[in-house]
Amino acid sequence: MLKKYLIISTATDLVRIAPEKIVFISSDGNYCNLMQADNESRLLTFQLGQIESMIRDQLGTEGNLFIRIGRGLIINRNYIYYINVQSQKLILSDNNRFSHTVSASREALKQLKDLVEKEVKE
Amino acid sequence: MIEEKDIREDEIRVIGGDDDSGKKPKGWKWLLLLLAGLVVGLVVWQLWPETPQPLPPDPTEPGVFDPLPGTVAPSTVKQPLAKAEETGHGFVEMADTTINDIPMTLYIPHQMCYSLSVGAIDRNDPSILFAAQAADVRADNGGIVGAFVLEGEPLAWGGSKTGFCAIIPDTVTGIQTVTVGVAENSPYFEEATEKRGYFFRQFALVDNGQLVDNEIKGKSIRRAICDRGGEILIVGTLTTESFHDFSQALIDLGVDNAIYLVGSNSYGWATDAEGQRHPFGNPEPPKKKWKNISYLVMKDKP
Repeated sequence: MLKKYLIISTATDLVRIAPEKIVFISSDGNYCNLMQADNESRLLTFQLGQIESMIRDQLGTEGNLFIRIGRGLIINRNYIYYINVQSQKLILSDNNRFSHTVSASREALKQLKDLVEKEVKE
Repeated sequence: MIEEKDIREDEIRVIGGDDDSGKKPKGWKWLLLLLAGLVVGLVVWQLWPETPQPLPPDPTEPGVFDPLPGTVAPSTVKQPLAKAEETGHGFVEMADTTINDIPMTLYIPHQMCYSLSVGAIDRNDPSILFAAQAADVRADNGGIVGAFVLEGEPLAWGGSKTGFCAIIPDTVTGIQTVTVGVAENSPYFEEATEKRGYFFRQFALVDNGQLVDNEIKGKSIRRAICDRGGEILIVGTLTTESFHDFSQALIDLGVDNAIYLVGSNSYGWATDAEGQRHPFGNPEPPKKKWKNISYLVMKDKP
């Protein structure tokens, strides 16, 4: 089976990236910043909701690697390392090359924590 | 392109579905039920008498629509919404709107690098594309009110105000994360000191979509830095308003978190996509020279 890539194409350029190489995508006004596992970041001229649609359409059920958190963030669930609901802190890390701290609402982080805990129980 | 349905700031969702969260129906029984429901729906739809279309409005009918409190008038855009890739540089998109009868200007930064500055600002510096006073200054001793970090250096530690704004650069990529929030103790203060970031405190106005009441009374020109769905914007009223009414208007604007910026006649400016500077406040230099006057400053992203 062919490996799936996320392809983000505009009139002038194209980004082709394996899903596991995406750490998170954050909203930046009308655009997004894609943070890669190689510590490179790339500005995407799409809104976060559009990127979410691309993930869903192109990756199908494999898109469940990604979790939309609030209006400003899409994260790769494989890199969830630390969640602190009270301080609204989420650290995404591979415990090796990168560690990125992002913020989200307390309620969203609580839901994320519950989701991760549920994964353990199942 | 079809965009995903809206999501609230306090929600999460697994993209692609089948997330094992148990929220979605599973198994062949559910599928059969779904199909049966679809068939019944189709049959009912086919047999249902055609619904009469609503008549077009009668132009002679007097208007009976009375705008409800909390309604948002359509924005009038001051300038064409140029895209950053078209301009190739940072700029501030400006839009006028009226919410709850409060006229206000929205300043939406694009491709900007955020920082704070302390001391009189150089008004002739063309690299400063946006400037607005940030923290308050104490009238008695001229100190900065509330905790304050300037490029990693803590200048004040006060906790009298619960609203905060943190500008934290990623130590690897340099990409900034701007956080507007409400907390008595925020780890962002330490993070700002560790990562050469910036941090200041101001009155909290909106906390996770909830109005924060402030004891300060009276009306003035109000300004705020806000987080609306992960987008940072600055809002300034064009009329004098109470804190309460301003906070409510921000909530009706869809703001999730907001803290105050020095309002009244404090001077600042925003630069549009054509490089035109739009000042606000009183351009007369303040009579008293506060050495600790601070500004939220935005420049073109490097």
